[in-house]
Amino acid sequence: MNRSDFQLRLRELSAGDKRLLLVCFAAALIALALGVLFGAATGLVRARLIDLPALEGYRLMTLHGVTVFFYWLYFAQAGLLLVFSVTRAEGGDGIAWRPAAWAGVALMIAGFVLSETGAARGLPLLYDASPELTAPGTPGTASVYLGYLLLAAGLFGVAAAAVATVLAPVFAGRSASLTTVGFASLSWAGLLAVSALAAVNAFLPAARWALGMGPTPQDYSTGWHILFHNMHYLPLMATVLTWYVIVQLLTGVESIFGARFSKIVFASYLVFVPPTSLYHMFLEPNLAGSVRVAGSLLSLFISVPTVLVFLIIVASLETHARARGALGLFGWMRQLPWRNPAMSAIGMAVLTLAAGGALSFVLIQEKLAPLLSDTFFVPGYFHFLTVGTVTLTFLGALCYVLPAITGRPLWRPGLLANLSYWAAAGVTLFGAAGVAAGYLGVPRRMLDVGYEGAAPGIWALLLSAVGIGGVVMALALLVYVFGLVRSALPRASTRAAAPLPEVDLGGVALDRSRAWTGPLSILVLIGVMAIFTMLAFETMKALPLAAIGGAAH
Amino acid sequence: MKQELWLLVIVSAVWAALALVYATVPALHMPGYATVWGGGAVVFLVLAVAIGAARRRGRKPD
Repeated sequence: MNRSDFQLRLRELSAGDKRLLLVCFAAALIALALGVLFGAATGLVRARLIDLPALEGYRLMTLHGVTVFFYWLYFAQAGLLLVFSVTRAEGGDGIAWRPAAWAGVALMIAGFVLSETGAARGLPLLYDASPELTAPGTPGTASVYLGYLLLAAGLFGVAAAAVATVLAPVFAGRSASLTTVGFASLSWAGLLAVSALAAVNAFLPAARWALGMGPTPQDYSTGWHILFHNMHYLPLMATVLTWYVIVQLLTGVESIFGARFSKIVFASYLVFVPPTSLYHMFLEPNLAGSVRVAGSLLSLFISVPTVLVFLIIVASLETHARARGALGLFGWMRQLPWRNPAMSAIGMAVLTLAAGGALSFVLIQEKLAPLLSDTFFVPGYFHFLTVGTVTLTFLGALCYVLPAITGRPLWRPGLLANLSYWAAAGVTLFGAAGVAAGYLGVPRRMLDVGYEGAAPGIWALLLSAVGIGGVVMALALLVYVFGLVRSALPRASTRAAAPLPEVDLGGVALDRSRAWTGPLSILVLIGVMAIFTMLAFETMKALPLAAIGGAAH
Repeated sequence: MKQELWLLVIVSAVWAALALVYATVPALHMPGYATVWGGGAVVFLVLAVAIGAARRRGRKPD
């Protein structure tokens, strides 16, 4: 499918389908804006620039986690899943089972309201809402769990509609096959449905207990870890699929490895989900030693599918660009349309994924997990992934999707393209300073780490850098959200906008071209992982402290 | 369509095997994991069956 087909299919959707997608994306952008504001406020409390009682500080932290991790990422995924399903189902005619999709989105919105109300008015339990921190009948507790359950039910409804949309043309005999993106969307919908089951497994006993209708939940932390593992994987799978779709639209380049191989790679995401999950249990004291070793070994496979999709995209782009005369190791990159906000967002997403991915391999090692899991290393590394990789990718995709749905031009595309660089710079400062702070023992989830003047002086310096990075990141994201909302709303000026910069590198690359950038990137990544790991061991060995972690992911 | 169907069958088999391991191996005895991976095996099997059904239905002349 070329870019005009993609835009045409979105433009020709029925008014009902468009309304559904716009409601979904509006909820996503509201959740993102709120989540960013809560996050920025949490940062200001940590920096002691806002003086709030501890409980209110934790409330902001709770609202930040709940809003961004559970609702922004999943409203955006719900909308993009429906978009990819409906545009990539050959012979399709709109969203199938639309009432199921509407019910799903409505349940997710109801869940959002309940979770936010619970977090705003009840005890701030942080986003994992451990029952150990509260008691049945405590205001807000049941509301948080019920909100998560409604979110799960909603995701199930949206996933069902996406599967029906992908398969409807085949059932009707209008298409004899599934496209790569159609199959990947179907797989993604399957994983969303399983994650909904995992959420029910984790939160239903807790909700019954909070309502006084059931016993204390047994093994809540295990249920949380299973859900959390799936919820790690889902946004990454969604991200690389979004790259796969958008890069093709931006450049016209299809995979040089063919559809068969791409489908195997997307299916491998599902194969690798269960066996790689054990590392979440490393902090559980009862876990057998043999299981820890097995978990450590299996966790090495966690990034295999993501790396494979990265290689497919980069090798395909490089080969086509070289066939059109690109020279030098990185010269092919100059042919990409960097002034297009979607391209700059994906470019920055790839770089921050490399940083966050390398650091995540430090954290999931059995020996380092107990030392680092309760430090600021964790928020330091995961913002590379949640903000730099996933959020920027979704925002970049919306730059393509929203104008196609509304028929209105994108607001200031040049500025939006620059915002990706600002957001990436902010997250790099936040992440680098946060990881360094974690290596030096700064605890996470602590609002005041001054220890009445006893804390090392460098902690304050690093946390100031974290604060500055956080402000830059937050401002960039808020302006981005404003730009997307402004693009979707009717405007007084009806002046025709210039089309977004795109290139046409497509066609068949007949020459024998070398594509070294992908494999070289992987080698560099492995080297960086080794350096971060050695740094972690050496720095933490030098600390005059001994620590035993508790389950905290 | 045959490839997609078999890929999902393989995914379902992996999830089912893991569910079995979590349910039966004492060192890994975590009923929650067994439930979710087992549920996932069912979901992916249902998707494979749906692909197979769509393929058969699509081939039938009206």
